[in-house]
Amino acid sequence: MSSVEVAEQQAPSLIGSSVPRKEDDRLLQGDGRFTDDVEPARSLHMAVGRCPFPHARIESIEAAEAAAMPGVHQVLTGVEVEARTEPISVLRPVPGAADLPFYALASEVCVFEGQPVVSVVAESRQLAEDAVEAIWIDYEPLAHVSDPIAALAPEAPVLHPERMDSNLLASNPQGRGEPEKRLAEAVVVVEDSFRIGRVSPLPMEPRAVVAEWRPGARELIAHVSTQVPHLVRMQLAESLRLGESEVRVVTGDVGGGFGLKLGLYPEDLLACLHAIELRRPVKWTEDRVEHFRASTHAREAVHDFRIAADAEGRFLAMTDTYVTDLGGQNSPFGSAQLSSIVFTGPYRVEDATVERRVAVTNKTPIGAYRGYGQPEVNFARELLVDRLARRLGRDPLELRLQNMLSEEELPWKNAVGALYDSGDYGRCLRMVAERIDYGGLRAAGRGPRPDGRYVGVGFTSFVERTGYASARFLANRGSRFGAHESVTLRANRSGGIDLYTGVSTFGQSNETAFAQICAEVHGIDYAAVRVHAGDTGATPLNTGAFASRTLIAGSGAVREAAAALRAKTLRIAAARLELEPDALEIAGDVVRCREQPQRAIGLAEIHVAAITGQGIPGDEEPGLEVTAHFEPSAAAFAYGSAAAVVAVDAETGEFEIERFVMAHDSGRIVNPRAVEGQVRGALAQGFGAALSEELRYEEDSGQLLNGTMLDYFVPTASDLPPIELLHTEVPSPVTPFGVRGVGETGTIPPGASIANAVCDALAEFGVEISSLPITPERVWRALREASNGGEGLEG
Amino acid sequence: MDELATEELVEITVTVNGTVHRERVSPRMHAADFLRQRLGLTGTHIGCEQGVCGMCTVLLDGEAVKGCLLLAPQLDGRELRTVESLAQGGELAPLQQAFKDCGGLQCGFCTPGFLMTATALRESGRRLDREQIREELSGVLCRCTGYDGILTAVDRVLNGEQR
Repeated sequence: MSSVEVAEQQAPSLIGSSVPRKEDDRLLQGDGRFTDDVEPARSLHMAVGRCPFPHARIESIEAAEAAAMPGVHQVLTGVEVEARTEPISVLRPVPGAADLPFYALASEVCVFEGQPVVSVVAESRQLAEDAVEAIWIDYEPLAHVSDPIAALAPEAPVLHPERMDSNLLASNPQGRGEPEKRLAEAVVVVEDSFRIGRVSPLPMEPRAVVAEWRPGARELIAHVSTQVPHLVRMQLAESLRLGESEVRVVTGDVGGGFGLKLGLYPEDLLACLHAIELRRPVKWTEDRVEHFRASTHAREAVHDFRIAADAEGRFLAMTDTYVTDLGGQNSPFGSAQLSSIVFTGPYRVEDATVERRVAVTNKTPIGAYRGYGQPEVNFARELLVDRLARRLGRDPLELRLQNMLSEEELPWKNAVGALYDSGDYGRCLRMVAERIDYGGLRAAGRGPRPDGRYVGVGFTSFVERTGYASARFLANRGSRFGAHESVTLRANRSGGIDLYTGVSTFGQSNETAFAQICAEVHGIDYAAVRVHAGDTGATPLNTGAFASRTLIAGSGAVREAAAALRAKTLRIAAARLELEPDALEIAGDVVRCREQPQRAIGLAEIHVAAITGQGIPGDEEPGLEVTAHFEPSAAAFAYGSAAAVVAVDAETGEFEIERFVMAHDSGRIVNPRAVEGQVRGALAQGFGAALSEELRYEEDSGQLLNGTMLDYFVPTASDLPPIELLHTEVPSPVTPFGVRGVGETGTIPPGASIANAVCDALAEFGVEISSLPITPERVWRALREASNGGEGLEG
Repeated sequence: MDELATEELVEITVTVNGTVHRERVSPRMHAADFLRQRLGLTGTHIGCEQGVCGMCTVLLDGEAVKGCLLLAPQLDGRELRTVESLAQGGELAPLQQAFKDCGGLQCGFCTPGFLMTATALRESGRRLDREQIREELSGVLCRCTGYDGILTAVDRVLNGEQR
């Protein structure tokens, strides 16, 4: 590693610099290559017929007419798919859960609206869709259950009676100490049930797949819009009964993922199956109506949270029993699991227990989404912290600071054994309080102002796990991937370096960050590093981009590979220059003597020498290429605090977010502009889930009410409040360069800070909010409920 | 594929990015599909096919419109511009450069829609402050950036550096 230290000493640091992104030029010119941009010659097109009911038995399928339509090549039903494929595996199953295998098409019973039932391949998408319309499917609707709490009631219909005797898929208790005892002793206990709405991650690019099969070569090429090409390759090979060497997944540019594009979807498998059977390329691009029903949903959960405190406000215990909604069956990745890891937040609590209960309902499967359980539990806990402050007559800022772990107390093992590595949690909270002039706002009072509106301030503080603790941690939970990343660096004859990674590119600036680290460690120009991402035929087998893990693991792999490549480059150059490697440095496109820079040799010349094996030392192997694998020693905990200032109309419930300030720590920052973009983008999704986004189901029919972009409200440019960002930069001791993950942080604080601000503004009315999203209607209902003395009105 | 369709094809003449194209199209093909599938101009993206998300925004006779709400036959005799027209000789246009400088894109899927909307704003010669720009850009959705970099980029190009 001495070469790394040398590199870090001399060049002006690329790490920490907002260099232009590698990805931008092609994307700005319309030259990105998204999956729908791929269309091999003689491509056929697939359309999928879907169950219109939340729960139904398939009585019969009459497809002969459709199969005979001009231009139609094949119709597949569930019976055929079950015979020809294996079930789609789950990458991160819920621990202790019954195995719920699912095939790409349902054959007997459908468990959610939008579940694929038939697939048709025709000469064009239009003809395929027309043929789907011509297939007659007779369904017998079955009793359904939409609500996850109702699904656990004894009278609920059991949705998977062949494998489960209730709809409780799993129950995972964790924790330490004796919280029940502390609760009994406590001077004050606050508790409530908090509902977090169901949302869609909604990447702007829908899912897509293009499959090509060459039978003689036994090669399947699947272009898939995914965050995890190498994992999709594994899942495809398993389900299609192929060897992995027969499957190549190619992922070009991906138009947003956010957790939704994690793993193999039924349509990916179907397109491949058709392509194999028809010996023609088969293409499918999801439309947005399908997306709202068949791409994974997120978040929906109910948290029953309790906090106990003594008279001085010291937190004595926390408990959280929560129900998460799985939907009708597993998603290819599995449902969100991190609420349990961070439920105690940044606070000093010894006695705390948590129990995750996973319920099956007749809704679209829940998958991963930016935050993966962390925004949900943060909402519950942080609302209760404010209620506790009101009960004790304490200031919510002071109460948080009193109970927050100090810098000196870290590392700290929380109640479920997660290790908070380092940081100054209180500093972020004080920074946001200072920035909004909390003292001034308090002195000015809550109003009402001349315009009749009440003013409130809401805080929230959080910790966020980024990356995975270790392969061992994952193995204990049945996860089918590792905690490491792998990177290949290959010198080329133009004097540049090609960097190969299985991390596909979906907006996270991975190409830029990897190239920055490579150039920093190696010494080559940033411009001379080219990143090739996402093709399993060309990149080392890796894990993929999710869980804010890419840089935590990937930075180590790039560092090790770049250091090794640099060392060999210096050895070859040293022999040619008749100097010691230690006397040399790589500066841009040359290797030169540090003391006498005129003694230099072009990097291209060294690369050619190594690649041809001509003119390298006798004890040196030809070639200049390194693959490195890196697993970090632990997960890194990012953290932060936020404050919202709102003005609320107590007549109508309408409110305006006048200011939103967030301070966060993502450890050492590789590219500040990219980090700010990640935080702002995640905040926008956080505001959406907090204010306007919610997938609503009609109770009687069990059907999705707002499954189009016209009535599911993603924030537009006009909808976001003014956002002020602050950050600290405490390096994590457990990762290369001290980085912490940053992709998901922004999703966590909006809901809790806004709810706390609204409740603070309306404190004199005794208003409490317990559910997301926070709509004016919900605030109005909470006002009515408070004025009725707590009679249930909140919806 | 069209020979299998039962409907009659419509012949259109349309100028796209300065090149005149004469094509026979299905009456139910929309303009975004026409650009992508017939002309290979895949920079125009498709996100919802109901006129909400703005991914397919192109300039029709200089006006920003959603390509998925136009049928290909409606293009007859019109002039269309797409994201592929912006860079000249490999040089990014000022608007593209501003997006790059300001963090105006991440996954890049929505970027052509914003670039074409902003191009129309710029060519309109209207004076717009940041809040007005925000309103004008609300017809295109972005799920990655939180819009801040996009607004800054467009503001910079429309109003210069004196912010």
